[in-house]
Amino acid sequence: MLIDQLSVFVENRHGALAAVTDALYRYGVDIRAIAVFDTTEFGIVRIVVDKPEEALKDLKADGFVAKLSKVIAVEPIDKPGSLNELFHIMGDNGINIEYIYSFVMRRREMPYVVFKTDNQEKALQILKDKGLNTVVDL
Amino acid sequence: MIWSTYETMARDQMEKLQLERLKQTVRRVYDHVPHYRAKLNELGINPEDIQSLEDLKKLPLTVKNDLRDNYPFGLFAVPQKEVVRYHASSGTTGKPTVVGYTKNDMETWTELIARIVTMAGVSAEDTAQVSFGYGLFTGAFGLHQGLERVGASVIPMSSGNTEKQIMIMQDFGTTALIGTPSYALHMAEVAKSMGIDPKKDLKLKWGLFGGEGSTEAMRRELQDAWGIFVTENYGMSELIGPGVSGECKALCGMHISEDHFIPEIIDPETLEVLPPGSVGELVITTVTKEALPLIRYRTKDITSLHYETCDCGRTTVRMAKIQGRTDDMLILGGVNVFPSQIEEVLFNTEGIGPHYQIKVFKKGYLDKIEIDVELIDDNLLESFGQLEALKQTIRSRLRTVLGIDAKIHLHEPRTLARFEGKAKRVIDMREVK
Repeated sequence: MLIDQLSVFVENRHGALAAVTDALYRYGVDIRAIAVFDTTEFGIVRIVVDKPEEALKDLKADGFVAKLSKVIAVEPIDKPGSLNELFHIMGDNGINIEYIYSFVMRRREMPYVVFKTDNQEKALQILKDKGLNTVVDL
Repeated sequence: MIWSTYETMARDQMEKLQLERLKQTVRRVYDHVPHYRAKLNELGINPEDIQSLEDLKKLPLTVKNDLRDNYPFGLFAVPQKEVVRYHASSGTTGKPTVVGYTKNDMETWTELIARIVTMAGVSAEDTAQVSFGYGLFTGAFGLHQGLERVGASVIPMSSGNTEKQIMIMQDFGTTALIGTPSYALHMAEVAKSMGIDPKKDLKLKWGLFGGEGSTEAMRRELQDAWGIFVTENYGMSELIGPGVSGECKALCGMHISEDHFIPEIIDPETLEVLPPGSVGELVITTVTKEALPLIRYRTKDITSLHYETCDCGRTTVRMAKIQGRTDDMLILGGVNVFPSQIEEVLFNTEGIGPHYQIKVFKKGYLDKIEIDVELIDDNLLESFGQLEALKQTIRSRLRTVLGIDAKIHLHEPRTLARFEGKAKRVIDMREVK
């Protein structure tokens, strides 16, 4: 399942993330997952929210550089090697994972894995063929 | 439309008028300004020695420090009671430079502004919003008087309070915006954030900008942001304020009112006068001013002069856009660069906004340059690599075009300084000047 993810440009300085979450909180947007990677002077915050379209509009109105993009959300089977299997499926089919992060939904045992590849449609099809559980409802 | 017949005078007539006025001016400063009398005596020049325009180069140059050294009124050629108006330039170091106007000077100034606003398209039909700061700075009052002279409806808005500016602009149906180009850019940004589309919601037609230099790239930026016809005008308080020159609709340089100012271009190092078309420092002699006549005043502005008749019909000489100032030229690792050249490169780069800051400092014996820019393009958020690539693009363009190596920092929108008056884009931390 392709889900909407917000990407927001932030500078690496204190308070930069709070400014983003402040805006989302103010507009009543619920954050489902968030990831920022180690960067030097600026970074891209990736956020999965309940109301992506509204959140994008609000962030832009507040002057943030933000955009929506599609990512794949998967619920791996709870057994050793399942992530290994996922990466192999992608790699063996010539699909490159650009970034990946995971998050736990309340009352669920397994974390979701969210990732972006260089060929989203193909990746989805392969996951479906292999019977991996792509998340439909967040 | 051409405001004054002086603007289309034949060259020989103009030169005759200039010579006559130059002679009077030299006589006036010799008789009334001790500073000039001493200088002329030192050089063994008598006012009678000035017999042709060629003799101008025998006269001594005047620099800004001459005004500071004679603070406040030492260079005035009239007693204080003849002065009807004072203005002063923003002195960043110590005392400001004070200028004064007699009743006739005020009339001259008003006429000069009437010429440049007419050149830029403004007429009695227009509503003009003056967004220069009113006060000692000459910009606001200068434009104000001349706009009234042509019959425009003038809104003396002053600078700052930007949201109110936009509101008035919309409610009063402003058709001409007057201010610094950097403030006009900032205003466009504020209008946008207020949900106003300048092209649909406002009646603006003309933008008359001055008070600081600007590039062709900035003109395009302003034209796109506001949907207006943008012209630039030039002046400085020492010479009279704005009104020395301005662009006509042909946009091929700023017409100098030569019946009041005689321009020359000199080599700023050797001080030698250069032929027409050469790039160098602009030097101006005022030939009609009563309160503060200046002989061969060094403007520190780098430009060139072009005497061919313009498509608009005016015969007055045109000065090219200011390339930079002799005192803001940066020498970076032995390479001479004007901030305006860096600006041109930045403005022509997709993905970043029009606001920037240049920082220069020393690391060991090396000059280091860092440039802060604002990211505006959300399409670059797919991967970190795209943002890095943008930085590299800017860096390599600066290297190819200007031969300088600069570190680029990307910032969030609306985080760099905005300016309501003259922009201050360069911070040089190499040494205290």
